[in-house]
Amino acid sequence: MAVMTGEDAISVTGARKFRGDLTRTRIRWVVAGLVGIFCIVGGRLIQLGMVVTDNTIEGQSRDVISASRPAILDRNGLEMAVDIRVPSLYAEPRRIIDVDDAVEKLRTVLPDLDAKWLRQKLSGDKGFVWIKRQLTPELEDKIYQLGIPGLDFLTESKRFYPGGPEASHILGSVNVDNQGIGGVEQYMDSQDLGTLQSVGLARGENLKPVQLSIDMRVQHVMREQLLDALDRYHAHAAAGVMIDVHTGEVIALSSVPDFDPNDPSTMIAPYNGEPKMRFNRITAGKYELGSTFKTVTIAGALDSGAVKMTDRFDARFGVRFGRFTITDFHGQNRILTVPEVYKYSSNVGAIHIMQQWGKDNYRAFMTKIGFDSPLPIELPEKTTSSIPKKFADVTAATAAFGHGIAVTPLHMAAAMAAFVNNGVYEPPTIYMRSEDQVKALAKQFISPQTSLEIRELMRLNALEGSGTVMDRQAQGYRVGGKTGTAEKVEHGRYSSSKNFNVLASSFPLDNPKYAMVVIVDEPHREGPTTGDTAGWNAGKTTGRIIAAVAPMLGIAPNFDKAIDDQLVPVSIR
Amino acid sequence: MIRKLNILLMLTSSIALVAVYGLKYSVEEVAKGKQGLEHQIQKQQGQLSLLQADWSYLNQPGHIQPIVMRHQQELNLQPIAQTQFGSLSDIPMRPAQPDTDAMTALFQSLESGVDPADHPIGGR
Repeated sequence: MAVMTGEDAISVTGARKFRGDLTRTRIRWVVAGLVGIFCIVGGRLIQLGMVVTDNTIEGQSRDVISASRPAILDRNGLEMAVDIRVPSLYAEPRRIIDVDDAVEKLRTVLPDLDAKWLRQKLSGDKGFVWIKRQLTPELEDKIYQLGIPGLDFLTESKRFYPGGPEASHILGSVNVDNQGIGGVEQYMDSQDLGTLQSVGLARGENLKPVQLSIDMRVQHVMREQLLDALDRYHAHAAAGVMIDVHTGEVIALSSVPDFDPNDPSTMIAPYNGEPKMRFNRITAGKYELGSTFKTVTIAGALDSGAVKMTDRFDARFGVRFGRFTITDFHGQNRILTVPEVYKYSSNVGAIHIMQQWGKDNYRAFMTKIGFDSPLPIELPEKTTSSIPKKFADVTAATAAFGHGIAVTPLHMAAAMAAFVNNGVYEPPTIYMRSEDQVKALAKQFISPQTSLEIRELMRLNALEGSGTVMDRQAQGYRVGGKTGTAEKVEHGRYSSSKNFNVLASSFPLDNPKYAMVVIVDEPHREGPTTGDTAGWNAGKTTGRIIAAVAPMLGIAPNFDKAIDDQLVPVSIR
Repeated sequence: MIRKLNILLMLTSSIALVAVYGLKYSVEEVAKGKQGLEHQIQKQQGQLSLLQADWSYLNQPGHIQPIVMRHQQELNLQPIAQTQFGSLSDIPMRPAQPDTDAMTALFQSLESGVDPADHPIGGR
């Protein structure tokens, strides 16, 4: 109802309009207020959405702590390593209402916890503190029943090796963070498992178990016999490895003294006051394997065609190199055929065989059979061989009977496996190998004919040579092998009192299935009627192992004379 | 019109209120149940892993051998010797003619109450 008069307009706002304006302003204020409130609510929502919950536990993510490792099985499916899931107690102090009450209650179940320490742990504003790790399920139950708010459990994985020290050098061990620190555990980490764990995938029960080629029964027998050898011959150390000659799969591998993977600190514990004794001598130790090398020398020489089984070699006199004269241990001092050189383990004969073949050919043969390349086995504990790049006359001569060059026992076992397996080499592995893989990896080292001759020689040595002690232990299993007794180097000289004994063997020789190398370091005589050469200790141990494991491996004894007659022709006896 | 709409809105909001309230509690219930189940599963998995570890420990050759050794004397256990293995060819073929005399002797001895297992016939 505005009243207008002339130019000077006087505007009068009516009461109604005034009230209307006032209402509009108020509404505007209310709307503004509401928008403000909504903005605050929205902002808070965004803020809440941005909060990153702290999932780490003392710097480690929860996933890492509960990360598991796959079970490790032997070739028959028996567990060699399993994960056990154990509860660990933790607290969230900021959620604890009554600290004193919680401390009192908790100490009724865990009386060994210090009250003062516990109170200090539980008070404060921390998000996470460990109270006690790796409890038993019974304790977990009791604590759960207490119903203290702010206490909870986290399942941790803990590695357990049911076999204890049985397969220690194969398995290795893990540290507190569940990372492999040796053996196949470390190998798995270096392969795909480490990557899986780092992205948090290796969790839960659905990890596929890893199957190894080891047979725990054989492994047990071998370790038992090696420990027996250690005791019986008062030896420094002993080790053995058995390989399936057709596939290259390692059936058993043991080296004593060893350790308990359940307690990784035993890995570095001294043995008889000596440190660094508990290493894997099969893959991480290189040795002068002595006369077992004559098998290599003769196999190569026969295969080249330069030497024939019927060739004769003059072993009447030692071989002179400057000041040195190399003679025979069991001197026959006559002219010997190849089988006789092998049987009597004639150093002089081996040198002549090598010389007739040629030292460069010998060196090339070592490369061919993989002696100077690193082992292909899936264990991190490995060493490389020491073989001179080029052979001088003297080194070639000593190398012909296994001195002056050093390889690992596993190198020798793999070569022996190839020599008896129709000359076909399979790189040794501790994983199961399929038939296709076997075919793809096969390499021909020597001809099947030479392989047959080597088997002849090996069986001959068991019947008449240095392997007779072994054969007596394992009668009926057609075993054969070559002994090696090397003098140990002490202060840069060969010691005549300390020996390093080896026996490289195979069985059953009419259809070879397994090859084995057993070493006994610094053995002593068992009794007054026995010797201290390899046949008496490494040989006897080999024989005992074979007698015990052959029935497990499905090899029946056979006393048929015809087998030996066919294997070792009467002409070479 | 507006009044009807208001009544409708009020009704829906009160229903929604009750529903949300109920839902909240049921979710809390389910979450609690889930937590309990998870705890139970975790515990049982832990127990299972312990049992599995126990089982594989008891199956280890290294565990069984000492038990065998302990009962060696009582049960007269011995490692099998190579000579104790036989082969299929060791089993004689069936004779062309049934050995009637031996059969008669066997039946006679059975009738007279003599267990042939204790007194082998034919001196074998």
